[in-house]
Amino acid sequence: MGKNSRSLDINLDRYDKVTFMQEVYIIGAGMTQFGKHPDRSLRSLGFEACLNALRDAGVKPKEIEAGFCGNALAPAIQGETGVGQNVFWEVGINGVPIVNLENACASGSTALREGWMAVAGGFYDMVAVVGVEKTVMPKGTMLNVGAGEYETKLGEVFPGYFALIAKKHMERYGTTLEQLAMVSVKNHLNGSLNPYAQFQKLLTVDEVLNSPMIAEPLTLYSCCPNSDGAAALILCTEKKAREFMGKKVKIAASVLTTGTYDNERDITGWEVEKRAAEKAYQMASLGPEEVNVMEVHDAFTISEIIHYEGLGLCPPGEGGRLIDQGTTGLTGKIPVNPSGGLLSKGHPVGASGVAQVVEIVWQLRGEAGKRQLKNPRVGLAQIMGGNKEGDTRACTVHILMKD
Amino acid sequence: MESSDKNTKTSEAPTSIPIQPGLFEYPTPEHSHPALLGSHCQTCGRKFFPRRTLCTNCFVDGRMEELKLNNRAVIYAATVVHIPSPAGIQAPYAYGYVDILTDNIRIFALFTGDNPSSFHSGQEVELVLEPIRTDGQKQQIIGYKFRPV
Repeated sequence: MGKNSRSLDINLDRYDKVTFMQEVYIIGAGMTQFGKHPDRSLRSLGFEACLNALRDAGVKPKEIEAGFCGNALAPAIQGETGVGQNVFWEVGINGVPIVNLENACASGSTALREGWMAVAGGFYDMVAVVGVEKTVMPKGTMLNVGAGEYETKLGEVFPGYFALIAKKHMERYGTTLEQLAMVSVKNHLNGSLNPYAQFQKLLTVDEVLNSPMIAEPLTLYSCCPNSDGAAALILCTEKKAREFMGKKVKIAASVLTTGTYDNERDITGWEVEKRAAEKAYQMASLGPEEVNVMEVHDAFTISEIIHYEGLGLCPPGEGGRLIDQGTTGLTGKIPVNPSGGLLSKGHPVGASGVAQVVEIVWQLRGEAGKRQLKNPRVGLAQIMGGNKEGDTRACTVHILMKD
Repeated sequence: MESSDKNTKTSEAPTSIPIQPGLFEYPTPEHSHPALLGSHCQTCGRKFFPRRTLCTNCFVDGRMEELKLNNRAVIYAATVVHIPSPAGIQAPYAYGYVDILTDNIRIFALFTGDNPSSFHSGQEVELVLEPIRTDGQKQQIIGYKFRPV
């Protein structure tokens, strides 16, 4: 099982088997509603998510031996650093090692990976992971991230980079505007079933295509919104998890990769993602056909289509066909972004990577309400962050298994 | 004293400055075209833009020479952005990636011309230096762009 999956371009023999001291389980998951929270602070949002996760696990703050906090933009937007200490202190986790992690959109998932490594490596029996962000700003405010890069000085913006990728994917593979729009339609349908989602409204293909143009061919509803929110997880060793009465979920793989920034690379796919996926499938000893649910980084519609290809759901270039066939819808063969994804659930940057895993945990435990899938056993979460030289600075893939 | 300092500063202040030092050079008597400045490793042959001091390909130090990139390029991908950029550029504006002819380097590039929507992959373009915005001191900030040949 799991050797050289039938899906094209996925090679599981390329990497050495990873061994670690402890299996790691998730015994608590919680989040805030994503959206606009103008009257709440980062610590207030982080507090709510941590409290929900601790109560879900039924553990007290004093049982937590270390804390890992993902946040990307607080130093730039709120002028705040050390967010993790603020948040964890608020919920009663103090006196233990606390680490703040920034990896752009992958900040939260990088915090999860660091928490996983700390438990898997035998350093701690139980840790807390939180992702928190507030990116909703007064209308017209511009966030000048990456101001030191010459591309940014020349006027490069995130939607523009993804617009170029979309143009190239359309040119090379015949992917259509309608297929791109259908990703947003699907995710807004899913989000309408998720009380934690920022948008609770359905969209049509025409509404997506006719919304204001941002960067050709991507329109407003092809892009995820700015959001405020937080999400948290409680991780522990297998021994600790056995003492826990609730439903537990095993972290079968945790992988972080960074870009190679190869000049003249093909921008219709991310090698950094394929590499992360292959390592994760190898670590979990399974292939993409054995995954029952995925949460992927749909910051823009084109991104989700390319993630289908990078994660091995279809060969390169066929992502558009997958959305046409309904394969990734709630009732499809492999539902993708049942939570509504970033497009509908919202994108509080540093929180998103943790919130994806919260959704997978809920799906595997059968607690996802109206959007609950039929008995999923294996889930995957993928997110990446930052753009440099047309490549991605960080990509994480986590695979979770129902115990 | 203060005011004379101010006056000196104002009179000496350049009316235009490049977006980043060392990124490009203006036309000279020897070179009639502007040029983007990169690096060329004399050991392995790898070319880089912008300039860097260490060749990350062969890791041999002190073998980088300045490279004046060809001023002609072919568009790899192009888009038109309809939101103003935080760097202060007014929408709509066109940009994309261009492949520099003969140098095998792909770079980010703004496009200039009457019709932002006219740029497409495969199109041949050439380098120009133009103001991209004006800063708080009313200085023109000069960047590089590519225009249709």
